[in-house]
Amino acid sequence: MASSIHSGPGFDFSNEIRNNFMAEKGLPLPKATSTGTTIVGCLFKDGIVLGADTRATEGPIVADKNCEKIHYITESIRCCGAGTAADTEFTTALISSNMELHALSTGRKPRVVTAMTMLKQMLFRYQGHIGAALVLGGVDATGPHLFTIHPHGSTDKLPYVTMGSGSLAAMAVFESAWRPDMDRESALTLVKSAISAGIFNDLGSGSNVDACIITASSTEMLRNVEMPNERVQKERDYKFRRGTTAWAKESVRDLVVSETVQWVGGEAMDTT
Amino acid sequence: MNSFAERFSTTTAASHMRNAQKLAEEDDEFDGTMWGSSAGFGSIAKGVPSFTVPAVADPTAFLRLHTDDHADPSCRIKIQHGTTTLAFRFQGGVIVAVDSRATAGSYIASGTVKKVIEINPYLLGTMAGGAADCQYWETYLGMHCRLHELRNRERISVSAASKYLSNLVYSYKGMGLSMGTMICGWDKTGPAVFYVDSDGTRLKGDLFSVGSGSTFAYGVLDQGYRWDLTDEEAQELGRRSIYAAGHRDAFSGNSCNLYHVKEDGWKFIGNYDISKLHYDGPGNVPGSDGRPYGYDIRVEGLSSTNAPEVAAAA
Amino acid sequence: MPSIEQPQQRQFNPYSENGGTILAIAGADFSVIAGDTRQSEGYSIQTRYAPKVFRLTDRAVLAVNGFAADGNMFVKKVRQRLEWYRHAHAKDMPLRAIARLIQTMLYARRFFPFYVYNILGGIEEDGTGAVYSFDPVGSYEREACRAAGAAQSLVQPFLDNQIYFKNQLPAPGTSHPAHLPLSTVLSLVIDSFTSATERHIEVGDGLEIYIVFSKGSTSLQGLASVRGLQEVTTTDDGERVFVIRRELKKD
Repeated sequence: MASSIHSGPGFDFSNEIRNNFMAEKGLPLPKATSTGTTIVGCLFKDGIVLGADTRATEGPIVADKNCEKIHYITESIRCCGAGTAADTEFTTALISSNMELHALSTGRKPRVVTAMTMLKQMLFRYQGHIGAALVLGGVDATGPHLFTIHPHGSTDKLPYVTMGSGSLAAMAVFESAWRPDMDRESALTLVKSAISAGIFNDLGSGSNVDACIITASSTEMLRNVEMPNERVQKERDYKFRRGTTAWAKESVRDLVVSETVQWVGGEAMDTT
Repeated sequence: MNSFAERFSTTTAASHMRNAQKLAEEDDEFDGTMWGSSAGFGSIAKGVPSFTVPAVADPTAFLRLHTDDHADPSCRIKIQHGTTTLAFRFQGGVIVAVDSRATAGSYIASGTVKKVIEINPYLLGTMAGGAADCQYWETYLGMHCRLHELRNRERISVSAASKYLSNLVYSYKGMGLSMGTMICGWDKTGPAVFYVDSDGTRLKGDLFSVGSGSTFAYGVLDQGYRWDLTDEEAQELGRRSIYAAGHRDAFSGNSCNLYHVKEDGWKFIGNYDISKLHYDGPGNVPGSDGRPYGYDIRVEGLSSTNAPEVAAAA
Repeated sequence: MPSIEQPQQRQFNPYSENGGTILAIAGADFSVIAGDTRQSEGYSIQTRYAPKVFRLTDRAVLAVNGFAADGNMFVKKVRQRLEWYRHAHAKDMPLRAIARLIQTMLYARRFFPFYVYNILGGIEEDGTGAVYSFDPVGSYEREACRAAGAAQSLVQPFLDNQIYFKNQLPAPGTSHPAHLPLSTVLSLVIDSFTSATERHIEVGDGLEIYIVFSKGSTSLQGLASVRGLQEVTTTDDGERVFVIRRELKKD
């Protein structure tokens, strides 16, 4: 291979072997922020309701208590992401961008299957290395559509779907209460209780409920539609007295520099 | 026929023997000693306590799988490592100095560990490696030192005590015990220091340092060590050596515990915060000028970042 | 069909990790021992109420954390030994003796350890509050405060700062108190757990705080306004034990 200072396009796998070796020797890679998540979607009479929790984790630690997991694809297509936070964010952003270009070049409103195909082809190309598990939903000229897309690129088209670590808890709710042709109100209630099941029974999910209702005529993003886990008031104030922190030495520097310009005579240089 | 009846009788001499044997065989988890104060150390008459071992082909491999945090930081049971301990013999007795940090990977599990184990008023043991191994076996050693006193009407020699420990840990060799200890004391022969570790090594010597920070401690110790050190000089040397290790070794630090063994037994000299030693010095203690150990004070106005007044002006 | 002659390898893995956090703080004449009540494995909650803190005697309370099965069995065995002691000596075992007992019981399993981190809190024979903390194989130490378990690395630095006043310079002409009053200690315990619940997924559901008072302790008055309080003392004129139960967030 010719050595070049320019790197090729796409991902750089040159450290893959080294990193695996180091992990074997007991030096694991830094953990990526993952959205050990509950995300759901369901069909109703007029369209699609998507739902997500808002917890992002790094191993057992909560990294973000109120993150957004319902990503914008187009005005009437949205995508919930579970898995590696960076992967879900960048794949959905990339596909969103490509969908916009696609819309511009065709002069039509893009379809949900188009987004789904773009996503699955991209994820399949990277053989699961992009850790994105997605719930894609939207309404287009052909009606409402709901898909799940797995990290390796396989897809499902179903009337109600769940993904992420809380998928079983959420699916239990759907399996017991989902009915065809539900109205908007009861579909939203169902999604809220499915996400709540994930929030309370799955340790990887938590905090608040986000929802998004997509119909042929409008898309409504309901951010923090339910907040069942508000932070409680602390018992004590943790304010520190001025002078609490010890210091080893003190030095004060004057940031205002005063200078005098001395004119040394002669004619000014010709700068024309 | 007679023997058959005897075998199941509960009143004959043979049955009493049988009962006695059964009692002796039985795991001492439930024998009479558990009711009294020797609980847990087993029947002393029988020798050593007994240990539960997992019912697998290779118990040692099982233990290693679940405890060795060196190769696998995610393993479940963590045993503390990382220490600086030192002991040296001199004209005025033995100085024993240790740090007080316990680490589990990069986490400081404790900064107040007592790494000097007071075996009895004349014997000290130091702790490096497995904390529980050192604590348990050196306590156990203390019991046997007392038994030695009762049996022989005289105190055990440091040599004999350390050999007792050495033989004991050697009998568990390969089972996963981890200890590097110095047995220090004063006996008929005068001050004595023995190094004993879980490999079975036992060394007599004047000066030892054990643990991850030992190299740093040796650096200070070696250049300041003399046989004719005064008591105060010796204590200051011990303090400074542990300070040096605490300052440079990430796995040692927090504070220094200092002991001095003399003819009439050991004496606890003091506990010194390593940060305090660095910035403020040990305070008003014999053997020290009370100045901070950190070199900032010594290079004041003489370092590159804090240039001398004259040079700055020029 | 695979031959049965083939060597087979089996892994013996009797351990698991059940999350949760415990902590204990010693006061001048009282001791506070607390733990959350969530028991989990992986991302699943096994139960929202599994006590991790146990009253052993009227002056000793033991908190266990790590592998719940080992923890429960260990507490059972400690209680059995304490009962035997009562039968033999007609009194409760002193705290420092319980601490040594726990060491020897843990060390007896040196080669097949109980995967349990123990914190023992209570009142010494001299009437002072005490906390002993143990590693899984029995090394132990008396301390003023200690946190253990899943959120140890979140809670312990907080206690170091608020109890030992680490990295805090006292106001000129004053010094830090050696012991904090009960009301402060209780507030710190509650705040430790609500904070750990916010940021650690394995901590939550419920909180149990045990408080042990020495005989005739004046700190008892500090309990007057505490809600959710229950006395669990068994004898009349000795140390007294109370428990406070609180809810924690359940997500």
